[in-house]
Amino acid sequence: MFFGDNKLVQEQFYKEISDAIVNLDKERAIELAKRAIIENMNLLEVIEKGYGDGIRRIGDLWEEGDFFLPELMLGGTIMQESMDILLPELKRSGENINLGTVVIATIEGDIHSIGKTIVGTMLSANGFEVYDLGADVPAEKIVNTAIEKNADVIGVSALLTTTMFGQKKIVDILEEKGIRSKFKVIIGGAPVTKSWTEECQADGFASSAVEAVKLVKKLLNK
Amino acid sequence: MFTEWLKDASKIILFDGGMGSEIFKRGIEPGKLPDMLNIENPELIYEIHKTYYDVGADMCQSNTFGASFLNLQRYKIENQITEINARALENIRKARPPNRLIVGDIGPSGEFRPPVGKATSDQWVSSFEKQASVLEKGVDLWHIETMSDIEEMLAAIEAIRNLSKKPIISSMTYKKTKRGFFTIMGDSLEKCVRAQENAKVDVVGANCTLGSEEMVELVLELTNLTDKPISAKPNAGQPRIDNDKRAHYDQPVKDFVADIKRIIALGAKVVGGCCGTSPETIREIRKVIDSL
Repeated sequence: MFFGDNKLVQEQFYKEISDAIVNLDKERAIELAKRAIIENMNLLEVIEKGYGDGIRRIGDLWEEGDFFLPELMLGGTIMQESMDILLPELKRSGENINLGTVVIATIEGDIHSIGKTIVGTMLSANGFEVYDLGADVPAEKIVNTAIEKNADVIGVSALLTTTMFGQKKIVDILEEKGIRSKFKVIIGGAPVTKSWTEECQADGFASSAVEAVKLVKKLLNK
Repeated sequence: MFTEWLKDASKIILFDGGMGSEIFKRGIEPGKLPDMLNIENPELIYEIHKTYYDVGADMCQSNTFGASFLNLQRYKIENQITEINARALENIRKARPPNRLIVGDIGPSGEFRPPVGKATSDQWVSSFEKQASVLEKGVDLWHIETMSDIEEMLAAIEAIRNLSKKPIISSMTYKKTKRGFFTIMGDSLEKCVRAQENAKVDVVGANCTLGSEEMVELVLELTNLTDKPISAKPNAGQPRIDNDKRAHYDQPVKDFVADIKRIIALGAKVVGGCCGTSPETIREIRKVIDSL
């Protein structure tokens, strides 16, 4: 099958991808990623309208109480594996303009990584160079990596009211080193609010992966 | 004594309230494992237990929520498992007045099973056995709490049963969805209750996550699902983070206590509080129970 410019067929293809993610059908999701490359489709659109849509629907199903942690996690893994196929291809084709570099991590003492991983994946999919340091990462290490990678944005996740103070520590370290203005600092996680963002003197917060992408684009004027 | 209390139809057993929020209230910086305070600041832990006993709690739980092997491993202090749990026992023993009970507190390991994490049931059982073997000599009964995975709960029950004959209260933590109460792993209240019944626990309970109002609903469902005694330790509403970097629970004590009164009226046998509740809350519940 050749897709060409047939919008209808394209939309159908995106929906198939989105459904594969929601149905947690890994084989199908990966097969569709490979087909998107063979068919020479616009991979950014494939990621955003197909895989991104699927992961957003999973997020909605979680909110609604139809999906739970295992589904959320599986969906994230399938998304990641599909991205592992699509992102190198995007880079090869030069279609991917690097919009900026983001260092992202869950703060020390906190092992919640799902939300942070989804944010990282969505940022990669949207053309950012993402360094995901994982969970339980000391503030110093996050800052040092940001310096080393010449990052534009530092994203710090915290899911616990006891660990979210680490988010402020990032800003404090940057201030101490006199390099605060070199980075935009964004924070996220269930307990994070606007007033906490102000308290931290962070540059913004987002309550979903989609919002996080919008926020980073806005902060970097992209 | 706990078993006699369970048999006494007129007895409502009063558990303690929050530990973490009390620790922070006393000026300890958040971010470190509260279980380490058993060693680093035993006076403070003793004082919190004592306050809860003083205001009328029938039983309080050891400060060992995070002191299972797997959880300590995440903080790279698993080699201190014996000392942390043993010191926790000392602290609560000193505070316990006559005719009150010491509950061995067992919290989640922090490690999930696939696809969320990599933990296996065998790892869980072995982790909880290591903790429970230290606590067994000093506790009167067990409270396995805040479990969001029924499989981990069953592993903890198995671990305790392997080395203890003492009563077990098993409290899962649920979130309310449009389709009813579920764990975040996706198990329904009914499925969890059946599994806990089959594991022959003494009291089936729920704690944390839910505020007192939602807990009333949950207890109502529980009474329809099981003939086992029921335990409820709700949060004082939902937390708000303030500029002083602390989690605040704004729900007035009287509202929480009014909900506890409803929970008792529905038939709960054991009541207390979780996050955001304080000795003040327990004191007020004591008054309610005494007036029944």
